Amino acid sequence: MNRFFKDLHKYKNYTIYASKSDLKSEVAGSYLNWLWWILDPICFMLIYTLIFGVIFKAAELYFPIFIFIGLTMWNFFNRLMLSSIKIVKNNKAIVSKVYLPKHILLIEKMGVEAFKMGISFLIVIIMMIFYRVPVTWNVLCLVPILITFFVISFGFSTFLLHFGVFVQDLRNVVQIGLRLVFYMTGIFYNLETRIPAPYSDYLEKLNPVAFLMTSMRKALLYQETVDWLWLGIWFVVGILICMLGIHTIYKNENSYVKVI
Amino acid sequence: MSECAIEVKNLCVNYRGLQKYSIRRNFFTFKRKKVEMFEAVKNVSFTVEKGEILGIVGRNGSGKSTLLKTLAGIFSPDSGTIDTKGNSVSLLSIGVGFQREMTGRENIMLSGMLLGFDEAFIRQKEAEIIEFSELGKFIDMPVKSYSSGMYSKLAFSITAILETDIMMIDEVLSVGDAKFKKKSYAKMKSLINDQNRTVLIVSHSSDTLRKLCTSILWLHDGEVRKIGKASEVLAEYEEFMK
Repeated sequence: MNRFFKDLHKYKNYTIYASKSDLKSEVAGSYLNWLWWILDPICFMLIYTLIFGVIFKAAELYFPIFIFIGLTMWNFFNRLMLSSIKIVKNNKAIVSKVYLPKHILLIEKMGVEAFKMGISFLIVIIMMIFYRVPVTWNVLCLVPILITFFVISFGFSTFLLHFGVFVQDLRNVVQIGLRLVFYMTGIFYNLETRIPAPYSDYLEKLNPVAFLMTSMRKALLYQETVDWLWLGIWFVVGILICMLGIHTIYKNENSYVKVI
Repeated sequence: MSECAIEVKNLCVNYRGLQKYSIRRNFFTFKRKKVEMFEAVKNVSFTVEKGEILGIVGRNGSGKSTLLKTLAGIFSPDSGTIDTKGNSVSLLSIGVGFQREMTGRENIMLSGMLLGFDEAFIRQKEAEIIEFSELGKFIDMPVKSYSSGMYSKLAFSITAILETDIMMIDEVLSVGDAKFKKKSYAKMKSLINDQNRTVLIVSHSSDTLRKLCTSILWLHDGEVRKIGKASEVLAEYEEFMK
């Protein structure tokens, strides 16, 4: 663990610089440049609002923002999971030339995705002002929710990084799994009202993404406070997963280069 | 000058049991493939003194690159120890990893940071690197638009200017055109003349090694066949390769 923080400090500058240049190179080649970071989630929000709001008559309060928060958090999680599978291979050029703790690559990627998520949350704020959503102190729950979200995501991605190196077709399996989670997380419907009583609770509490997403919506849109007990549980579980994942990476990272 | 820079003892590196695994393949074949073991470096011990230029020769696949990568900390040894006495180590080999979408300038920064230098230091050295690489205005173009020669010239310049205590060079002495070759050779020569720098060179060109190196390590099938004065070992090696 000590080594983790030491490495984190040592490669801090590299991580920040690499994240920045990643973002830069992403927009360098496209016409609308950074506008895509805004346009992409807005367009998907419009599609889902149209399909589920108009055709399936979903009736949540502030439905567009409801979907937008879901999509924003899901995009972060989904992208991070998928990219962490191939992350060592994609950085083969670096990894096979110089020693780099492999989770630094993950943190760099998280920086990139977190920046995009930040932009989306700015849009959420603008939409909340536009819809005149009443704001209470509960909005501040955003911070612990996000921290837990990052910890949990990082924990999962360390394991995907590790197994992604050795298992060639992991991506196919994870993609199917993620799609299942996507529908069970309630991004475009409300888990609590759409699914019968005991099951909705299981789905919500046992799936950290769903739990954090629902909490986020409650805090931002419906002036409710967080279920602190469950948030605490998931935070601790997340830390444990991270520690286990980092330990696995440190133990095996030298053989990664031999395999890719 | 008898201060030790690198001390390698009984080093072994294996490639073993690390084949890729596929869920699909394992679903249909129930037999497990036997795990093959391949010893790339077997029981290698040597020491390099500070300021020494050690050339490493050997046939293709005799473990030269594996040895360098292990010394650079990219692989961990399966047994044995490596002691670099706290010196900073950098490995320079063909096609150092650049981010293809980014400009040469940003890549200098990234590579430098990966080697453990801080931003201010790299900024200071940036102009020198750009000048040495002869890239001119191309430095602000994405690396993907570079020709292979420009690519290696940039890679060489970064490692040559951002000096580390121990430099390991894997077959890069022949990059670029005739003029750049001469220049990089002169640069190598001046780096080497610095008494504090230890250099390990892997090359197939006996001429280059004879001119540059003080001693030669001859690897054969992962084992040390001979280590000693450059002229003696090279003569025997050339005889062997005939």
